Amino acid sequence: MTLSGYLSEKESALQKHEQWERRWELTQLKSVKLDAPHIIASNSVRSIVSTQLSWPFIDLGAIPLGTETLVVVGGGSLIDRVKIFRKNDWPALKVVAIPSIWGSGAEVSPVAVMNGHVKDIQFSEDLIPDRYVIWPELARGAPFDLLRFACGDVCAHALEAFTSPLATPQIRRQAAALLNEIAEYPLGFDDRWFDASSAACLLQARSSVGLIHGFAHVLEPKLRSSNLAANWGHAKLCSVFLLPVLRFNLSTSSRVQKLAVEFGLDLEKVLATASALFLPEEYSAAMAEAERNWEGIARDPCSRTNCVLVRRDSVEFFRKFRGAGVPT
Amino acid sequence: MSNREKLRDLLLEVLLLSDEEFSFDLNREQVETWDSLAVVAIAAGVDETFGYHFTPDEAVGITGVNDIIRVLEREGISFAEA
Repeated sequence: MTLSGYLSEKESALQKHEQWERRWELTQLKSVKLDAPHIIASNSVRSIVSTQLSWPFIDLGAIPLGTETLVVVGGGSLIDRVKIFRKNDWPALKVVAIPSIWGSGAEVSPVAVMNGHVKDIQFSEDLIPDRYVIWPELARGAPFDLLRFACGDVCAHALEAFTSPLATPQIRRQAAALLNEIAEYPLGFDDRWFDASSAACLLQARSSVGLIHGFAHVLEPKLRSSNLAANWGHAKLCSVFLLPVLRFNLSTSSRVQKLAVEFGLDLEKVLATASALFLPEEYSAAMAEAERNWEGIARDPCSRTNCVLVRRDSVEFFRKFRGAGVPT
Repeated sequence: MSNREKLRDLLLEVLLLSDEEFSFDLNREQVETWDSLAVVAIAAGVDETFGYHFTPDEAVGITGVNDIIRVLEREGISFAEA
């Protein structure tokens, strides 16, 4: 695909699907009459969902014939599985996505990620759910770390959209405004994170992600299989690598600094948020794996659209990074 | 390091080429790794190395090493051999 084709495909997908037109509150979902609806929900939210929605629960592998609408309630992985299932196997199916926590933006995204031994990332406007529902109560009881990492995921999407070499001035303006706003949010439960998450996801889908996601995509399957107890996931990796990658980009090129000035991004606030999310011990553990897989990280498609060129010797920066300022 | 050497090093890095595989006459069709993502990485690397940011039209219009040199020379960055 050519660069111009890559851009136009992404932009056309979004022009057809403005997120606010597809956004429902829970009360709206309960008041409309859906065609032959069934629910797929992750175990963690099944009981709370059953108190509000009375449609039958099913599993993705056993969808009854005649189902016309699938309401999927869960995290980004489950929503992405349903999106890919609909695109590949049941194009007529209507999908209503309800994220159980913010972060992935899967409820509005034309991107779907399949977690296997390596990440398989698909992009198509056919992947965008027909409707999405904001239901903040689903996240209220989530563990604190999970909520905090989800905030890091949103920040990573917004920041990498802002710095993306593929971002238009309009995307940068919106991303800067979003980053300035979420810098004021608490790094924990706050229902504003849901809409921020959808917006950040749409911005990165219109531009690209960068090295934070290069790290996350390569390391997640490896860390998950080698260290189950540490509960490594995409959002945690985005949170941990937000500060190192931002520091790397700032120290390697003046590009980010210039863009921040041009578009009114308060970099100090972003750095403060990234510093608050940084976990030194987890970073050291992840870097041990990253050094063994540096070639893959540097050549990951996400890293190749980083705002600063990721070189073979760039690993030296991350090896020496300790959290504060720029390593010497 | 001359600008020619800087550009060669950048392209070796982005396109995963060896010294022997590189020449200033290379074009996209000859290099399997010169895909649309490489175009983005080259643009980021040129900005970082030469302080010039390609316009989208320039980035898409680059079909070989000489096109990169042509754009940069138009911006006053010399690639004259010493």
